[in-house]
Amino acid sequence: MATAIDGRSSTVRGESRYAAFGLELLVDSRISIPGVGQNSSCASPRPSHVRLDDGEIDRRWAAITATPQRARELRFDQTLLLSVDFAEPAGYLLWTRDFGRVLISADGMELLCQPDPTNEDWASIVTAQALPLAATIRGMEVLHASGVVLGDKAVLIAGPPGAGKSSLAAALIRHGGQLLSDDAVALRLSHGALLAYPGSTLLQLRAAEDERLAQSDRAALGRPAHFADGKQRYLSTGPHEPVELGALLLLERSAQEPAIEGLPAVDPFELLATTFNLSVRTPARLERQLDVMSAIASAGLVYRLRVQPGIDATTLASIIQAQFAVPTP
Amino acid sequence: MTDKRADTQPVTQISDQDLLETRARLPQHVVHRSFVAETVVLNLRTGKYHGLNPTAGKMLEALEAAPTVGDAVPVLASEYGIDDAQVRNDLLMLTRGLLERGLIVTADGDSD
Repeated sequence: MATAIDGRSSTVRGESRYAAFGLELLVDSRISIPGVGQNSSCASPRPSHVRLDDGEIDRRWAAITATPQRARELRFDQTLLLSVDFAEPAGYLLWTRDFGRVLISADGMELLCQPDPTNEDWASIVTAQALPLAATIRGMEVLHASGVVLGDKAVLIAGPPGAGKSSLAAALIRHGGQLLSDDAVALRLSHGALLAYPGSTLLQLRAAEDERLAQSDRAALGRPAHFADGKQRYLSTGPHEPVELGALLLLERSAQEPAIEGLPAVDPFELLATTFNLSVRTPARLERQLDVMSAIASAGLVYRLRVQPGIDATTLASIIQAQFAVPTP
Repeated sequence: MTDKRADTQPVTQISDQDLLETRARLPQHVVHRSFVAETVVLNLRTGKYHGLNPTAGKMLEALEAAPTVGDAVPVLASEYGIDDAQVRNDLLMLTRGLLERGLIVTADGDSD
């Protein structure tokens, strides 16, 4: 595939070193993971290994000691698109209809990839699903949100699929922001501070959104990345270090004028629903998720952003910049 | 005082008086966090979340701190400025609800 890793890596014995979602990664050099770069600060000093499968997935899955538990599945109509099964001692087996399989060890230290040979973009699933899952196993809390750095703080945009998270992130980038991660952002509560870690800086826009952009707007988003599926993506430049969380914006479709308001009394269940990960249900993870959400709420970082259908993302970006007093370029 | 009848009898069969003399506490597999509008109680064994309104959240905190359920009554009555009888009724109702859901146990009833 034409889109490669962004070149900020170092190679050690056939493995390239990257970092994403708070994890240090040693990636088999035959694997090119789009949108994942290198940063110097990880939540854990021990790397997770990303390797190509040589039959090990089947061997480990044959050695499981209990019936696998279906942790998650995603369907479109009746067609199964994605599933996650968990079984000791093998771990979490991520299966996707179009990308292949990834076995993530129960401790999140190893990801074995079995690509779909017909899909040259198969590695997208590593960034989009497998790494966020491994990060959750290893102690991060991953939100289904796009993150942009404004000033020196991370602003996360959460909302249902199609709500416009990526479009708004793109507008904020065009206004001087930096993409922290698209679609999934890893958080960690560290000594009372909430840190947001760089994840995937591959930004995907809907075709209609992309067509509306001027050439200069596209250039601001980053290097175009071409995938076999024809969708337009941009390889943006993100920060190399974790960034303190400044705000979590909950997008809400509304007929009213667009506006942003703080939510001091946010519904905690709405916060819990922003999670990216429904597969890891260990007691430690569940309590950690509750702690992170409690910290976000008690720090007064939650905002509601009302969005009218069809509104220009640039207008919303201006509202956000005004709210957080970020100078426009 | 610990009333073991509360551990062996269905909650509905425990008298109000017995319940008031019982110490209630959270088992180790239940945690809670207070938010402005709600307290979230999470059973880590089942992964099930429960929501308590702010008053019930305060009651849960009072139950945890008090030697017995009955000892929490005057604390709450003083905080909310209402009479003991009203608080007692509300607290008993909440306590039974929490016991039925396994979110609290009586002093000897923790199965951790």
